[in-house]
Amino acid sequence: MKKFIITILVLAAFITSCNKSLLDQTNPNTLTVDEFWKNETDAQKGVNAIYNIFYQDGTWSRWIHFRLDLTSDEGMSKSPWVELADWTRFQYVNYNFWEGNSWTWRDTYKAIFRCNQVLKYVPDIPFTDAVKKDRILAQARFLRAFYYYYAALLWEKIPIVLEPPVDPGEQAKENTLAEVWAQVEKDLNDALPNLPEQWDAPNVGRPTKGAVYGMLARTYMQQHKWSAAKTALDYFITGAGKDLYDLVDFKENFRATQENNKESVFEIQYSKENTGGDCDCVDNNMGNNRAQFFAPRGIGWSDGQARYWLVNEFKKEKTTDGQIDPRLRYSLFYPALEADFGDKVYGRSWEWGADEAWFKKYSRDYYRNNEDYFSEVNIRIIRFADILLMYAEVLNELDQTGNAYQYVNRVRQRSKMAPLAAAYPSIGNNKEQFRNRLKMERALELCGESVRWADLKRWGDLESQDKVNAVAERDPDFKNFEVGKHIRLPIPQSEVLNNPNLNQNPKY
Amino acid sequence: MGLKQSQRIAYHYAVTLRRTLTGCLANKYFLVFLLVIISSGLMAQTTVTGTVRNEKSEPLPGVSVTISGTTSITVTDLQGHYTIEARTGQAIVFSFVGYASKEIVVGDEKTIDIQLAVSAVDLGEVVVVGYGTQLRKDLTGAVSVVNSADVKKRQATTLAEAMQGLATGIKVRGGGQPGSEAQIQIRGLKNVSNSTSTNPLYVIDGLITNANRDFNPNDIESIQILKDASAAAIYGSRAANGVIIITTRKGKEGPMKIDVSAKSGIQIMPRYDLAETDEFKRLNYMAYDNAGVARQKLDTTINTNWQDEAYKTGTINDLNVSFSGGGKNGSYLTSLGYFGNKGTVISTGFDRFSFRVNSQGSKGIFSIGENIAITNAKTDEMGGNPVLDVVRLLPTIPVYNAANPGGFGYGDEAKARTFATNPVAIANLIAQTNENLRLRGNIWSELKFASWLKYRLNLGYETSRDHYKFFRKPGNWTLNQAYEPSIANENRAESASRLIENTLAFKNKFAKHDVSVVAGQSFQQNDYAQIWGEKRDVLVNSEGRYYDVLDQGINAKLGGFRRRATLMSYFGRAEYAYDDRYLMNAVIRRDGSSVLGTGLKWSNFPSVSAAWRISKESFFNVNWINDLKIRANYGTLGSSNIGEYETRAFINTLTTIAMGANQQKELSATQVQLSNPELRWETLKQQNYGFDLSVLNNKLSLSAEYFIARTIDVLYQSPILMTTGHDGSAPRANALTLENKGFEFSATYRNYDNPFGYYGTVNITTLRNKIVELGYGRNELYVGNTVTSLGQPIGMWYVLQTDGLFQSQAEVDNYKNAEGKIIQPTAKPGDIRFRDNNGDGQITNLDKVVVGSPWPKLELGFNTGATYKNFEFTMDWFGSFGAKVFNGPRSVMDRFDDNSNYRAGIRPWTPENPNTDVPRAYYGSTLNSRGDTERWLENGSFFRLKFLSIAYNIPDRVLKNIGFSNAQVSLTGQNMLTFTKYTGLDPEFSNGSIFEKGYDFGAYPNLKIYSIGLQLGF
Repeated sequence: MKKFIITILVLAAFITSCNKSLLDQTNPNTLTVDEFWKNETDAQKGVNAIYNIFYQDGTWSRWIHFRLDLTSDEGMSKSPWVELADWTRFQYVNYNFWEGNSWTWRDTYKAIFRCNQVLKYVPDIPFTDAVKKDRILAQARFLRAFYYYYAALLWEKIPIVLEPPVDPGEQAKENTLAEVWAQVEKDLNDALPNLPEQWDAPNVGRPTKGAVYGMLARTYMQQHKWSAAKTALDYFITGAGKDLYDLVDFKENFRATQENNKESVFEIQYSKENTGGDCDCVDNNMGNNRAQFFAPRGIGWSDGQARYWLVNEFKKEKTTDGQIDPRLRYSLFYPALEADFGDKVYGRSWEWGADEAWFKKYSRDYYRNNEDYFSEVNIRIIRFADILLMYAEVLNELDQTGNAYQYVNRVRQRSKMAPLAAAYPSIGNNKEQFRNRLKMERALELCGESVRWADLKRWGDLESQDKVNAVAERDPDFKNFEVGKHIRLPIPQSEVLNNPNLNQNPKY
Repeated sequence: MGLKQSQRIAYHYAVTLRRTLTGCLANKYFLVFLLVIISSGLMAQTTVTGTVRNEKSEPLPGVSVTISGTTSITVTDLQGHYTIEARTGQAIVFSFVGYASKEIVVGDEKTIDIQLAVSAVDLGEVVVVGYGTQLRKDLTGAVSVVNSADVKKRQATTLAEAMQGLATGIKVRGGGQPGSEAQIQIRGLKNVSNSTSTNPLYVIDGLITNANRDFNPNDIESIQILKDASAAAIYGSRAANGVIIITTRKGKEGPMKIDVSAKSGIQIMPRYDLAETDEFKRLNYMAYDNAGVARQKLDTTINTNWQDEAYKTGTINDLNVSFSGGGKNGSYLTSLGYFGNKGTVISTGFDRFSFRVNSQGSKGIFSIGENIAITNAKTDEMGGNPVLDVVRLLPTIPVYNAANPGGFGYGDEAKARTFATNPVAIANLIAQTNENLRLRGNIWSELKFASWLKYRLNLGYETSRDHYKFFRKPGNWTLNQAYEPSIANENRAESASRLIENTLAFKNKFAKHDVSVVAGQSFQQNDYAQIWGEKRDVLVNSEGRYYDVLDQGINAKLGGFRRRATLMSYFGRAEYAYDDRYLMNAVIRRDGSSVLGTGLKWSNFPSVSAAWRISKESFFNVNWINDLKIRANYGTLGSSNIGEYETRAFINTLTTIAMGANQQKELSATQVQLSNPELRWETLKQQNYGFDLSVLNNKLSLSAEYFIARTIDVLYQSPILMTTGHDGSAPRANALTLENKGFEFSATYRNYDNPFGYYGTVNITTLRNKIVELGYGRNELYVGNTVTSLGQPIGMWYVLQTDGLFQSQAEVDNYKNAEGKIIQPTAKPGDIRFRDNNGDGQITNLDKVVVGSPWPKLELGFNTGATYKNFEFTMDWFGSFGAKVFNGPRSVMDRFDDNSNYRAGIRPWTPENPNTDVPRAYYGSTLNSRGDTERWLENGSFFRLKFLSIAYNIPDRVLKNIGFSNAQVSLTGQNMLTFTKYTGLDPEFSNGSIFEKGYDFGAYPNLKIYSIGLQLGF
């Protein structure tokens, strides 16, 4: 019995004497933040994680296309999910609507958080090759500018966050739209010197100088800073980027077959290699969902489709050899597609409405009869044809209309369309008429490529009731558009309610 | 009614405590572990014997017989006999659970036979209070004792579910579906993290654990619920939500006893009355026509009743057999159980096999024992939410459609535009099971150095092997679904919890001073580890049979993780009673938890309580009052019920990106989630005031409590802004202070003086929670349709107010604000008129106001029962009054903007039908059906017959002939009758989000259960 008691007392003493270490449990599963950001590999992984946001649903994998393509006059929604459709026609009831608003807001700031981590921690990491370090930091700056640019387009006056939060309770301060544009310009200009003209093969897909100039030009153009925009675009026309870019076979801009081609200025890399969720998890999906959501009824969710006026617009002008504009064939699914070009829709003959059309760009109809969540087709953010049309627009705005023609012609020529002056001789040197025609040229070349919403805002087409009425003739959803209100989205209501430093956008 | 059970408990404890203690107080001052005991000189004694009988003159075993003012104790044997030494003039006290105590002064007689009368309160009942026991009459804290016999009568998967309405201040919301676990809340909301962390601490035979679905409620001997801080304080951390102490059954002295029980029942799912095809077509076309949208081509040859397809009558079978017995120095119990439940939703079920061995033995001062249970529980899980699916699916959709991949019917763009999912398809295409093999038990040993001092070592161990399996065949269940190949996913996990406890207990009596002290130390370590894997396109043979193993297939994924938490504690309790009149109790506990921040891991949790038994005072001369005691206490409790590693920020290293000309995979890593490193103990500070009163010869007993509980630094995931860039649920913070004030009242009347005996108990609970601090310096927090503001209860409904319907265009045009602006210019007659509360001439989110509380004002339990000859009758009611709840399914059925089925008989506004509150049917616009309006709020009050049972005890003379010692047949019904105005399936629904507690999202309802039971003993 004594032995027994002694055993117990020893046991008890043992337990009580080692309590300190017993209460210090470390996570056996992963690194703490303090253990990370120590070497070049960490920095590389850290910057890679920013690209990972492209695979998340609020951004270019899914929902931002609803905002940029469907809300614009190019697209619409007949989704049986009424609230989802309401958010493409300015019927915003619940400002927290996750799919329509909050998700994209959340993922935008998630991306910015990742950029801010790189920009905070990487400067202190020793690198053997300073160029490599500078390039990592420049990528983070470019991507931060990229997300602020699109946030500015969508919500306009948003908080600028430039540091990882110290306290999870931080309440970011609201900034004006001008301040947001200034931040975008600053980040792009800071990134510019440290990014290469071109990357080596394993790094193709990361931003180049061209990508920075393209985003800079867009940022300046949205602010009507035309000469600054011209300077940026000169890089492609007369500058060091002159020989790096060219136009390629039109359809190869929307397929996985010739990605990162010569026309590509910046594109998002998607792959079907993984089949996990759209999350920060094992085997995370590296594809995009756009086609699954935009494919016609019975094939995909059919939550978004194209406005039919685009079909009519394509058919207004024939090619120089009297054919239908070949871009129509690769831009849209429409009732006469099979009759005009012999193409079925995902192997089916037309079974939808006689006045309906669907976005064909980025669809995988070219090699399969269905879609899924793992589309490997890269999404082209900026391609050279857009740069040329932007350059033409900038020149026109700078009263160099005559000089602008050649750049529009170069785009038209690829699709066997006659030179602009030949097709529309009445425009001449009339800046207004040139601009009007250019708007349509952009639609025909770039429809469904997520540039239209920025275009409408830049052109001032949403600034007055008269102009909105004109847009509403193409897209009746704009009958719901209230000038001064719907030009920007409501900020998610929970963000406004729970942050005294942030006000809701006007009129919401 | 349950007396047999409590008798057994009392007998058991009396036997284990049987001893004769003598001693006297040597000194006014004493130290706990350094006592000088001087045996008192013995005076001339006589031996008194006798028999104790009950009201039916049957012998009562297990009655404790004590000499007042001394520590002499004995108990009556199986024939009710006792023998005790006493001196003339001393009073012998006979006390027994369920009976009024009696005092007889010893005269010259050597034999004293007495009869005890049933009392309303079991004052002599032994109550387990954690590391010890107390007599019920000596309690200074709030402790409820649940009659385990009442629990066993019910058909319930988990203990929590079976306890509803059986004690004050306990709120249970059942899960309903097979294998689902009920939520239980003791004295309101103290903690707001999530549904599981509001669960109380379960202590089963001294093992800190969880009475989840793989615990067999049939093994229970007794249940005590420690409700207030002083009662629960000995468990310190994790006791903030209250403690439920469960003791499992033990063998008793005597030859082997075999008990068999069998229950068999059916479960019935409540249903909606939904439109059939004819009515659906009429309403659907009305909505399309009003909106000017071309009608869809409904297939009116189909008339599917989706509730018939998705639901069936569930069955429950509960079989238990136990073998028990023992001798003077040991006892054993072996029990076997099976619980099977085929669910009310197709392809759901739950099976549990359980096995238990409890045994104990003693030799001299040493005793040892163990309680070990092995269970295997398997759930066939439900996929999707059929409760909502049956409402969303149109009656014109066929169940099967060979044209669809997989062959099941669902929405169709031309004929039935809906994304509703077909539950029959899900049941057939997805197989999902969850299986746990659990071993739970403890080994204890005790050294009784002296009659007043004992040491106990308790080693607890609980481990489980969990296996989750998911398999999906190719095929679709909803419109436009993306193609998915076959997918097999499995995970295997193991958990282990180790507990080591050392306690030293001192208990003695010095004249009128009763002293008992417990001191101890405890260490617990919890481990969990999991590995998982998944493959797609798994092997299939030529006949279409899939091989659902993770063998052949593509897109292999795998992962795993490990977690560990530790808790170290020191605790002590001192109880002191003077002459049964003044009772005091003090507890101190010091806890250290690995899950809290550096330097913040340790904290102290003291509590004190006192009671005064006024009825024992000499000045108290109210002879119709048998017992009156007032109590007060104050205590602090801690909680650290959070994840293992939440105080640190981590790098997510799981993801990859595609990059480069060949789109090679590259690793990525970053911080995804923010964290608060300075997490400290959440502390509950509670005051409790109460009284206990027994009157009318102990027939009527009343008990009331008032308490104020303040939970400070609640560890909760206070929502943070998205601009922080954080993803996932918000990081834990000590972010909130919450106050609960409540009043509990309980009254029991018992009368067993006549052959017709009966009792009735009324429990009333009122509770109000209030937010004192919201975290991150906020004044308000908005979640869904609720707002939580300082000084107000959590999650108040915050929506647009409605003001009837517009009856004419003139009403629309005349509905203006003060400045003459038409408020709803686009409205048409039949549309909802919303209140422009801010007067700005438009309806926006700024017009939302608080319109009601999701919290009931009053909860009421009423339990009654009667016996007559061999019949027993029991009935339990539960009511909840004053809550406003959001009817989610109705917000689907009564909307016309989207395609879903409609409530049968619904008549939307038309010019011909203006007297209605249902706005005009309008397809494709959410304006009349928006979810953030008063329209969907309903009165959530209800009063429900939770339980009804009639039992017949087969008479002894019949039993003797067939060799049984007891036999009972019973018929029971659960949830048979509900009085409510709520139009949803079940007003007693449960929602896991604390901020949306009153939101019925289509929760699985409580089921009607009818069962028959048989209990045999031999």
